[in-house]
Amino acid sequence: MTESPPRESRALHNASGRVTGADTTRRAALVTLFAGIAAIALGYASAFGSRGTPAWAPWLLALGIPAALGAIMILGAARGDRGVGALKIPFAFVILMLVIGFGAALALPTSEGPLSRLWLGLPARAAIVIYVVGLLPIFVLPIAYALTFETQTLSAEDVERVRKLARENQAARGTLNAASEQIRSGASQEQHDERAPE
Amino acid sequence: MTSRVGVSTLLQVALPNAARPAVVAVGIIYFAVVLAISIWAARRTNTARDFFVAGKGIGLIALTVASVSVSVSGFAFIGGPGFIYAVGLGAMYIVLPAAVTNVMGAWVLAKRMRLLGEARALITIPDAIGARYRSRGAQGLSAVAILVGIVGYMATNALAMGVVINSIFGVGLGWGIWIGMGVTLAYSASGGILAGIYNDVFQGTLMAVASVLVFLFVLNFGGGLGEISRMILAHDPTFLGPWGRLTPLAALSFFFVFSMGSLGQPQAVHKYYMLRDPLQLKWYPLLKTLGLVLVLLLYFSVGVGVKAFVLSGRLAPLASPDQATPALLLNVTPILLAALVFSGVAAATMSAANSFINIGAAIVTHDLPIAFGRRVKNELGWGRTVTVLIAIAAAITAQRSGTMVAFLGIFGWGLFASTLVPALAVGLNWQGATRAGAMASIATGLIITLALETAAYLKVFSFPAGVTASAVAMVASFLVFFIVSWLTRRSAPAELDPDVRLVMEL
Repeated sequence: MTESPPRESRALHNASGRVTGADTTRRAALVTLFAGIAAIALGYASAFGSRGTPAWAPWLLALGIPAALGAIMILGAARGDRGVGALKIPFAFVILMLVIGFGAALALPTSEGPLSRLWLGLPARAAIVIYVVGLLPIFVLPIAYALTFETQTLSAEDVERVRKLARENQAARGTLNAASEQIRSGASQEQHDERAPE
Repeated sequence: MTSRVGVSTLLQVALPNAARPAVVAVGIIYFAVVLAISIWAARRTNTARDFFVAGKGIGLIALTVASVSVSVSGFAFIGGPGFIYAVGLGAMYIVLPAAVTNVMGAWVLAKRMRLLGEARALITIPDAIGARYRSRGAQGLSAVAILVGIVGYMATNALAMGVVINSIFGVGLGWGIWIGMGVTLAYSASGGILAGIYNDVFQGTLMAVASVLVFLFVLNFGGGLGEISRMILAHDPTFLGPWGRLTPLAALSFFFVFSMGSLGQPQAVHKYYMLRDPLQLKWYPLLKTLGLVLVLLLYFSVGVGVKAFVLSGRLAPLASPDQATPALLLNVTPILLAALVFSGVAAATMSAANSFINIGAAIVTHDLPIAFGRRVKNELGWGRTVTVLIAIAAAITAQRSGTMVAFLGIFGWGLFASTLVPALAVGLNWQGATRAGAMASIATGLIITLALETAAYLKVFSFPAGVTASAVAMVASFLVFFIVSWLTRRSAPAELDPDVRLVMEL
């Protein structure tokens, strides 16, 4: 039976080319982020056409924005060899909510009028945008962040590892400075000796 | 979040004279509390680290409230409701991203920047970029980009303070600018970021209380949100459509710029260094999001409420949309509530100005010297001196050139977004990002934003509906960052120090 290497060692292997779960997740997130930004760029570019903004242009933003935001969050949350772990559910939920919210606002027919049915005080399409896009994520993402904080984001052990490395670096710099100081003072002593009359 | 549109819109508001005894009294109490906090903080500021990142750090609640305070400018109270009044629910796409931006910032930046601060004792955002790419050039370039943005922000905030203080005390615009900047300068130069943070706590609390009270008042006065909607739907149904009077492309562009762009706003991102214990980040996004929602209640309720009140004849038609909040406060709400909101607006502009003064001083005394391979010996002393100089320069610029100042303020948010988001937010999470990619991206964001905003300002070029210079510059900056990093990918592993790599792996 082989022991799995410690996390730090895995990180070094990872840097030298070994593919881990987090690498796959990050790669997928980067590709999605690039695709999302490219879709938004295409949407903007289409608005410069001589016939005005085509009907599909807002759809590129309605899909590209949730993709880009979701991807950059996943990129930030991926760690170790476990990718985003349980966070994939809240991420998927929020990306879906954004797509549904924007999509519904684009796709549903205009229905606002004096006799409109109100949902929590607003007509249907406005309610979808305000409550689904603007409020629902508040009840999901920050709570998911807090609940998975120690396992997925930052533990006391992580902080201590960084502090330990910082102390080692500081000590190494101190040794280096002392050594260079010694070399400098040695050189000046030699110069002094050379100049001094015998 | 809303500073970009905020200050520039606030500048265009000829706020009515609100100098009534209750408003003046609340204004005087407000300034007295600000000065008391500043004196207390000045006694605790002894080093450059105290001055720029609050020494050993700030507790979770204080940092959260302070962060809410600097994220929302006077726009949330004055320009924002006016914008809703003018274009309907489409204006909500500026604030809707608040549901995701705080937690997105926490995942993408907060942990890594706080740990970098732990590993390297970093104090600025260009510091983080310099450490990430092991590059004084990238640090210097990002410092220049931030400084350009700050020039505009500071001048516009100075002018906005003048407008608000003139409205409260009736002292005239010129005196308003100097009084506002003088008070802000007093606490910025003496107590540095510590005074700024604790004043932000006071100011943020004031803004939240004022916002919630106005929200409840509007709902009560209008008979509930349903009645308000019914009144609007009977006369102007487009107002309550999902895009209001904006095109879908324009509304979605707002959402994109104010969501993704939030990752590059130095006044908010800089706060990550200041949390005393990194493990307290756990509750930071939730608390900050809830705080922002409270402060933004006024934005929505006044914009929609005033529209209904004007349509029903309970409020006279407005001379301009930006009069929505002042008209409601001075004609409908109790005068004490009006006084609280006017002080809240002053608080919002002063809190933003203080934050930018501090960041600008750190860039001049810390980042730019490092970029040229030098260190300033007495960073605290120079920090205080540069703080004074920036404030005076901003006040003079604000007083002399109103139109130009408004132009400078417009591109602040977009400039920060297009120059910093790819290099900082993606760069700290992708080991394949390269120094060349980061520098090309920062330069692209800087050049495109300045060129397009200048062309739009001079009316030599106009964008098709829904496309903004900020969004175009940010998209271009992203694409350049990815493409140049990919082309120079072989240099990526050599550009990462072991401690930075560890921070990125965690």
